[in-house]
Amino acid sequence: MASRLKTYFVLHLLLMVYSCSGIMSKLAAGVDMFSLMFFVYYGAMLAILGIYALGWQQILKRMALTTAYSNRAICIVWGIIWGFVFFAEPITLQKIIGAIFIVAGVVLFSYADAKPGSAPAKSSSEQLPHKSRTKLGE
Amino acid sequence: MDTTFALYASFILIGTFISAISQVILKKSAQKTYSSHIKEYLNAPVIFAYSMFVVSTLLCILAYRVVPLSFGPVLESTSYIYVTIFGAVFFKETVTSKKLLALALILIGIVIYSFGV
Repeated sequence: MASRLKTYFVLHLLLMVYSCSGIMSKLAAGVDMFSLMFFVYYGAMLAILGIYALGWQQILKRMALTTAYSNRAICIVWGIIWGFVFFAEPITLQKIIGAIFIVAGVVLFSYADAKPGSAPAKSSSEQLPHKSRTKLGE
Repeated sequence: MDTTFALYASFILIGTFISAISQVILKKSAQKTYSSHIKEYLNAPVIFAYSMFVVSTLLCILAYRVVPLSFGPVLESTSYIYVTIFGAVFFKETVTSKKLLALALILIGIVIYSFGV
């Protein structure tokens, strides 16, 4: 039980770090493209994605893909928080309601294929050597 | 939401689509067997896929010149639509009614969110 909690904690720490790649992209957008600072921010963004890809593989060894996947929806919330904290983006009622719908949709999507009480999914499609962003899309 | 905003927001939508295609290529490549570990990574489809991934990150940065940071992950959740379509077309995955309902929720959420940006 304790180790399961730890996996969840590490997963959410990882997702928080991952969401910071957006902050780097946004900062890169604020400077001249292909200037020195641009490459600093862009490099930081790629580094975060790299850390995330490595961490995600470790998470999938300890947790069902559907569970890990559904938790990714939290990145919508982090986007709202980082936007507010670092870029003074207002938090509106429509944003909150919209975010709730999306998070509900993502969680439902993640479990749409899962059979009740099934073991951690281990199909070939779910543990690939080079899935840098770890899912089809995103 | 004016035209400029919609244009820049579309960069994220296009980038998301591009990176979904690159994931299909990577997955197709991962299902093949290669004569060496290096060839697993250094072959035309994989290099092409990673190039497209880089293009999508640059599109995202371009979009963020106008689009707020918080709108990024929201627009990127359109990836679930492509995952469903590509999964069905290229990997024979079934499209369940639950999945369709989930996609509907995501789309409704994106529309509602857009009114608050």
